[in-house]
Amino acid sequence: MLAVSLKGMAGRKLRTVLTALAVVLGVALIAGTYILTDTIDRQFDQIFAQVRQGVDVSVTPKKVFNSDNNANPPAFAASYVSQVQSVPGVQKASGGIFDNGVILDNKGKKIGGSNGAPNFISSDAPAPFNPFQYVTGHGPTAPGEISIDKYTADKQHWKIGSIVRVGGQGPVQPFKVVGIAKFGKLNGLAGAAIAVMTLDEAQKLTNKVGKLDGIDIQAVKGVKPAALVPRVQRALPANVTVRTGAEQAAKDSSDTKSGLSFLKTILLVFAGVSLFVGAFMIFNSFSITIAQRTRELSMLRTVGASRRQVLGSVLGEALVMGFVASVIGLGIGIGLAKGLKALFKAIGADLPGGSTVLETRTIIVSLIVGTLVTLVASLSPAVRATRIEPIEGVREGAVLPKSRFSRIKTPFGAVTLAIGVGLMCLGLLTGSSGSAVWLPLLFGTVFVFIGTAMFSSRLVKPIASVVGAPMERIGGVSGQLARENATRNTGRTASTAAALMIGLALVTGVTIFAAGIKKSVDSAIDNSVKAGLVVENKDGWTSIPASAGKAISAQVPGVGASSAIRLSQAKVAGVSGTPDVSGVDPATLSSVYQVDWKKGSNATLQRLNGNNVIVSESWAKSKDKKVGQQVNVTTQSGNHATYTIIGTFKNNVHFLGDLAVSNATLARDFKINEDQFVMFGLKPGANADQVKTQASALLAKDFPNAEADTKSGFKKTQTQWIGQITAFFYVLLSLAVIVSLFGIVNTLVLAIYERTRELGLLRAVGMSKRQVRRIVRYESVITALIGAVLGTVLGVFFAVIISRPLAGEGFQLSFPVGTLVILLILAGLAGVLAAITPARRASKLNVLEALAYE
Amino acid sequence: MNAPLIVSAVDLHRRYGEGDAAVEALDGVTVGFPKGRFTAIMGPSGSGKSTLMHILAGLDRPTAGSVVVDDVELGSLDDKKLTQLRRDKFGFIFQFFNLLPVLSAEENITLPLKIAGKKPEKAWLDELIEAVGLSDRRDHRPSQLSGGQQQRVAVARALLTKPAVVFADEPTGNLDSKAGDEVLQMLRRAADEYGQTVIMVTHDPHAAAVADHIVVLVDGKVVRETPAGEADEVVELMKAVA
Repeated sequence: MLAVSLKGMAGRKLRTVLTALAVVLGVALIAGTYILTDTIDRQFDQIFAQVRQGVDVSVTPKKVFNSDNNANPPAFAASYVSQVQSVPGVQKASGGIFDNGVILDNKGKKIGGSNGAPNFISSDAPAPFNPFQYVTGHGPTAPGEISIDKYTADKQHWKIGSIVRVGGQGPVQPFKVVGIAKFGKLNGLAGAAIAVMTLDEAQKLTNKVGKLDGIDIQAVKGVKPAALVPRVQRALPANVTVRTGAEQAAKDSSDTKSGLSFLKTILLVFAGVSLFVGAFMIFNSFSITIAQRTRELSMLRTVGASRRQVLGSVLGEALVMGFVASVIGLGIGIGLAKGLKALFKAIGADLPGGSTVLETRTIIVSLIVGTLVTLVASLSPAVRATRIEPIEGVREGAVLPKSRFSRIKTPFGAVTLAIGVGLMCLGLLTGSSGSAVWLPLLFGTVFVFIGTAMFSSRLVKPIASVVGAPMERIGGVSGQLARENATRNTGRTASTAAALMIGLALVTGVTIFAAGIKKSVDSAIDNSVKAGLVVENKDGWTSIPASAGKAISAQVPGVGASSAIRLSQAKVAGVSGTPDVSGVDPATLSSVYQVDWKKGSNATLQRLNGNNVIVSESWAKSKDKKVGQQVNVTTQSGNHATYTIIGTFKNNVHFLGDLAVSNATLARDFKINEDQFVMFGLKPGANADQVKTQASALLAKDFPNAEADTKSGFKKTQTQWIGQITAFFYVLLSLAVIVSLFGIVNTLVLAIYERTRELGLLRAVGMSKRQVRRIVRYESVITALIGAVLGTVLGVFFAVIISRPLAGEGFQLSFPVGTLVILLILAGLAGVLAAITPARRASKLNVLEALAYE
Repeated sequence: MNAPLIVSAVDLHRRYGEGDAAVEALDGVTVGFPKGRFTAIMGPSGSGKSTLMHILAGLDRPTAGSVVVDDVELGSLDDKKLTQLRRDKFGFIFQFFNLLPVLSAEENITLPLKIAGKKPEKAWLDELIEAVGLSDRRDHRPSQLSGGQQQRVAVARALLTKPAVVFADEPTGNLDSKAGDEVLQMLRRAADEYGQTVIMVTHDPHAAAVADHIVVLVDGKVVRETPAGEADEVVELMKAVA
């Protein structure tokens, strides 16, 4: 029986290939994601093992709690080194600095750009801790000397004697290159740039004089590192973590990797979307194929095939197709991993490379997921195939018996839709965070899609008559026939359109959501920011040296009062999460920024000192905190403090975080002395653009990672990332849209095959080839538009419902009507594109053969 | 036989296949069809009668020879012109599958005009629908009509454009005798009342007897051209040529 199916597949090449393509693309994205992330992970493992080579035991500052701002815990006192040296079993101990910095390229910009791979400042380490091997020159021995990693030196064409400008917490300073180094076999650290200088210089540059970021320890021969760890731990205060060198390398690597794990999740979600869309297409293709094979299957039943054999033959076909498609997808995934890397590079995130890593897990997951999706999607058509009776189907014009399910399809679809909406609401309203929100949301979305797809066969006729009306006016009888054909089998049209609906709904949802965020940020800045000039880090999230703002105040004429906002995170006793804590300057804040008070007024700011705090309305509500109550706070530097809430504010787009204290308090308890952004008022008569130009010139010279912007420019930079992320989502969602277009092609090809005689008749009574092509094209456009209309409606619904909980944080819905109309037009054009091949096929039918066709 | 010829074919050859397997479906057919008359092309299976009709109607091209319809030489026309010719000058009735299932009876009738982007003449459309007895079935879909009614829709469609020639390929082949008679009488009346030229392919002597004129084909050659008589005379004729 399977042989019959396989021969059938071979005889329907185009159809088989198109159906399989849906699986191939989804599996390719899964495999590509795993290969890319595994390759990156492997690279990080190698790098950190290399860096910690020769280190038996490592001492690092203790992380007080896990937070999502990835702030480095504060450095510890340099005196710890001598305490370590006196521990029995310690052969050698050496303290070092390793911190973020800025290394300027030949054009005066940060190497790799503001969102690229990081730049590091490292102190030189003595043997055996030194991971560097000098290709030319030597390590830094005097002030003003640095060595550079070979990767960066090659890229910038730096040689011994080149002058390179490096900055930490303060203005950039010139250094002379005295050495170019490799890390074992590696030229560099995954694209990061590293400047190595003497410990003294590194401490000065990073504002850590008398402090250390870590201590490397070599054990006396014969002493096991693991045995030395507790001894070192006992000799030091509690604000450090002591690990063996191998453990520390693994920890560093896993920290870095977990920072990238969101990437894997996002890519796998998109792969899931593609496969979900592909499942619709497989379901459709198998349904139509079985309808057309009714006579063949009935004949098989007549000559003695059992129902079980019919089921087996259809599922067998699905199994073979799914498996072969998965294998091909896996192969393409290897190439796709490189494509994804290029995509990330295009949006400014250069990921480390290395030789491709293909784990067994990648192979197993890809093959199983691809094959299972195909099998599950073909299950319902296969069961319907078993309902074909012997003899009956051999009659002329026999049709596939309706499934038992078809009668209850509409109410069932409505119920599924309702369950989906219910799940989404459940997740959004009751879930507090993490999987309690996104799991119900994810399943809710899937249910909504499936429910709508089942229900939508009822909507095909009304939507087709609306979107088909202009075509009938333009295309006359071709338009009418296209509309009639599209509504002939509403179930088939609905599930073909459903595939496109999913892609369109997600695109629409993302578009509306992005527009909402942009509008919210814009209006928050319009309403609150009174400053004429804003200075922040170019990457938009890292802090900048406080001296940058001071330099502008001192040197740029035209700037008036200034106020800095700083940022950290804390743990609050008794409540979940790690709220953002901002530091403000109570004396000057109101001159450049208007707090949107809920309880309190600008007068409240005067009391914002010592242990007083103001909190955002939404945080207070969700954590059940009120004015007058106290909160016990643990800071990232390990301090404990008790603050009294003296006011609440509306947290418009999270400008002030969840909690706000004075900058003095933040410095005291959080040890934060760098600015997140600095806002400046303008002196009367000062020209904002002129002031900006002067401030920019100053920053470019001394603080190249900071940038100055006018208020309108600040608005632009605050929303720039939205466009980038949206574009990235579009690219990934386009995969799902492409799969759904294959679905339209497939359905059209199958429909044309069914309507061969009709087309022959039309040609015989005088229809031109052009008119025939037009029928197919219009039908395709109608199908695409049905999907697009449903998708747009769902997308609007998703965006509205998902943004509800954010309304309290100042999220404002905005409907970019122009963009949505363009999306609809694009969907229509996609329909034209999908129709090219089927239309050509239809118009090339030989009239006589078509009429004689059985 | 005094009427001028509207369709004439000269020395038509049509070969299918290559080399030894080649079959000469038409082997030098020269024949003419007078204007305003009803002609039946008869012959046993494989005689080439359907091939002849397809070539006369521009649906197939001869290997050699020429066809002139209404002063137009078909061999000189490309696919586009042939399609236009079919649309404007020919009407078609087939044995099976004559109608589009998604269109109503009336829409099926007006289909060729719609394809040409023209509007039907209301009075003429009403008269035709009345004549084929479908006044109360105008909005029915083909699936709601009997086989005879469907074929009458096809007849009306073929006549609506007042074509130069109506080609009917075994129009009664799929109908019971009563429904078949109705269809034949309609074609007869079209020739008598509207002066419509009709060329019908059939292997049924009873159907051929309704025509004015009979052309008999055997093995791709015309073996007899004769005025039609009664059905039993036609049966005799067929026996004679066999």
